[in-house]
Amino acid sequence: MKLFKENESDATDNSVKNTDYTIKTEGLNKTYTVGNEKLNVLKNVNFEVKKGEFVAILGPSGSGKSTLMNIIGCMDVADSGKYYLDGIPIHEQKEKSLNSIRNTKIGFIFQNYHLVPTYTIVQNVIMPLLMRGISYNDAVKMSMDTINMLGLSDRIKHKPHELSGGQKQRVAIARALVGDPSLLLADEPTGALDRESGKEVLKLFNKLNEMGNTIVMITHDHHVAEHAQRIVNIIDGNLTVN
Amino acid sequence: MKFKEILRLVFINLIQNKFKVILTSIGIVVGAATIVMVIAIGKGGKSDVAKQFKNLNAGAIDISYTDETESNSGNGSNSGMPGGGMMPGGGGPGGDSNSSGNNSNSSNSSKKSSSNSSSANSSSKKSSNSNSSSSSSSSKKSSTTTSAKSSNSSNTSGNNGGPGGNGGPPDMGNMGGNSNSGSKSGNSNRGMMGFGMNKNEKITLTTDDMDDITTFVSGLSDATISYTTKSTVEGGDLEEETSYTIAGVKENYKDMSNLSMSIGSFITTEDDDNKEKVCVLGYSLAKEIFGDVTDAYDSTIYIDGRAYIVNGVLKKMGSVSSGISPDTSIFIPYQTGVKYITGSDVNPTITVIASDVNQVSKLKKSIKKVLAKSYPNSSFTIADAGSKMNAALKSSKTLTTLLFAMAAIVFTVGGIGIMNVLFVSIKDRTEEIGILKAIGCTKKNILTEFLLEACFISIIGGLIGIGLSFFITPIVQNFNVTVEHSLNGAVLSLLFAVLTGTIFGIYPAYKASRLVPVRALNQD
Repeated sequence: MKLFKENESDATDNSVKNTDYTIKTEGLNKTYTVGNEKLNVLKNVNFEVKKGEFVAILGPSGSGKSTLMNIIGCMDVADSGKYYLDGIPIHEQKEKSLNSIRNTKIGFIFQNYHLVPTYTIVQNVIMPLLMRGISYNDAVKMSMDTINMLGLSDRIKHKPHELSGGQKQRVAIARALVGDPSLLLADEPTGALDRESGKEVLKLFNKLNEMGNTIVMITHDHHVAEHAQRIVNIIDGNLTVN
Repeated sequence: MKFKEILRLVFINLIQNKFKVILTSIGIVVGAATIVMVIAIGKGGKSDVAKQFKNLNAGAIDISYTDETESNSGNGSNSGMPGGGMMPGGGGPGGDSNSSGNNSNSSNSSKKSSSNSSSANSSSKKSSNSNSSSSSSSSKKSSTTTSAKSSNSSNTSGNNGGPGGNGGPPDMGNMGGNSNSGSKSGNSNRGMMGFGMNKNEKITLTTDDMDDITTFVSGLSDATISYTTKSTVEGGDLEEETSYTIAGVKENYKDMSNLSMSIGSFITTEDDDNKEKVCVLGYSLAKEIFGDVTDAYDSTIYIDGRAYIVNGVLKKMGSVSSGISPDTSIFIPYQTGVKYITGSDVNPTITVIASDVNQVSKLKKSIKKVLAKSYPNSSFTIADAGSKMNAALKSSKTLTTLLFAMAAIVFTVGGIGIMNVLFVSIKDRTEEIGILKAIGCTKKNILTEFLLEACFISIIGGLIGIGLSFFITPIVQNFNVTVEHSLNGAVLSLLFAVLTGTIFGIYPAYKASRLVPVRALNQD
């Protein structure tokens, strides 16, 4: 179900913080100080993603998209503004609860896969489950469906360095999916892949989206962004919606 | 995250980085091995001492005449002992020894001033007794020869400054002036003099002396006299004459030295009285000469060409630090030895046993007094087993302390090594830490994981170190060091290893846990 979200950008409308929105931000600001210079990376960002949406955030490097992604991913906090994830006011959370929010609500997919090189594929995939306190064997059982779906079942004993880029990214996707998160957050998921593998990954995203997953993908590539239902442009910290 | 799962991750990481783990743990390996060896050597030293002294009664006091060759120093020490008490002074010489209250310092000076003193001697023998302190006054008086005895008594007191009054000393005074400063020179003079007088007399302690001691000194439970000499032995399986230690002993030597018989009986008083040619062999010796203990019994050996019946063989007694080593000696009756082997050329040792070990030092003084009566100018070595044992124990303790300090240094260095490698490792694994934190790993989990890794690295190092110590042992034993491994040593070294690893792992682990995921992930 493709639900295009009209951007009314009414940050003032408080009635909208219901659970229809996976993401809702109000007036996010973030400033970095580099030397004596103050860099205003995010300027009054109001951004919403409804449940089940597949949104691409498109912007050149230095546009502030990585900062936005870190804030959405609960790995960084804004200087000011509000951020609701699944209705939870993230801006009010302490670091400890952010840990568990990242663990349960968000599945991360990175450009460089960020798999742990010493762990096998299956060990990498089940990490989020282990952190919830699920025991190893149960976690393996729980993740087998996801692993099968991504066509990795014959690779589970392998190490990351034995896989191709596309396979590694599928492992990363499996790890993101296994915890059944509210949001899949992908940062340049095709950036390190060749064109063919990249296409496959994007197809996979479409498929996952059809299965009901909410996806936010950050990219600088216009072609990649076009796979999403909706594109949000970010330039110099300002968000513009198509 | 469950602790079990953290453990699992730790093991995965350790197994994946075997080489690094081994390298990291080298410091700990060395440290642990050192601790094990330290404790083993310390224990070995202690048991060595215990073994050496097990045949010695703690209350045993050995008395022997100090050879003339050592007399210089002997004088000094001598005088030191008799010091306070000896009013009695036999002849003139007694005075000499008396003065000694001043102690060992004098011995040194005595050598220097000896030329002076010798001249002094010739001119005035006893006078030297006068204390130098009084020398100035005394020098004015000039009575060349004072009666030795009076000077004696004065001497003792003289130390305290009194003696000048005796008047005897005046010559001395002159001498003192010559020979230089104060009391020390004075002393030395006397020492020398005493010496001169003795010169040609060689003192042989006898049973009479022993009787004197037992009579005049109370608090002794037993006393015996013995000597050792070397003599050639033939017989048994020996292919040629061989030189062995021959010990001339009395019947009670066996009990006093805690010897026990493997076969036969020890020397008896009748043997001694009748100067029988019988002997008792030490265990090792019996094996050496006859191949077997039972073969030795009732056989005949030839000591210095005379036939001796083997009346018995001792049990294996082990090594002893002093006195007669029983395993490798031939025991014969005291009188027999004097008659056939040593003649008058013998330097016996009187051994007495103090009934109360705590009285040993008091008894030593009393014995000195008694001996000084009979041999006023002579020096005797009076040694008790307890102080020897203490000295030995003390030195073994010092060694242990030293090694412990070394082990501590090794551990510190090893710990710093671990810390270093962990820091590098964390740098290497920043991405891993970043991703783990991104997907929800808590600080505590990361801290636990890295601490456990440090801990296990040091456990591995500790175990390898303990293993290593068993390889080092034979090398150390090669240098005649007694090594005695113990469970305590192993446990302690493992404990130290883990402690070191954990303590030095805390900071790196803390650093790792504090990594910010965003920065950790974007590092490259």
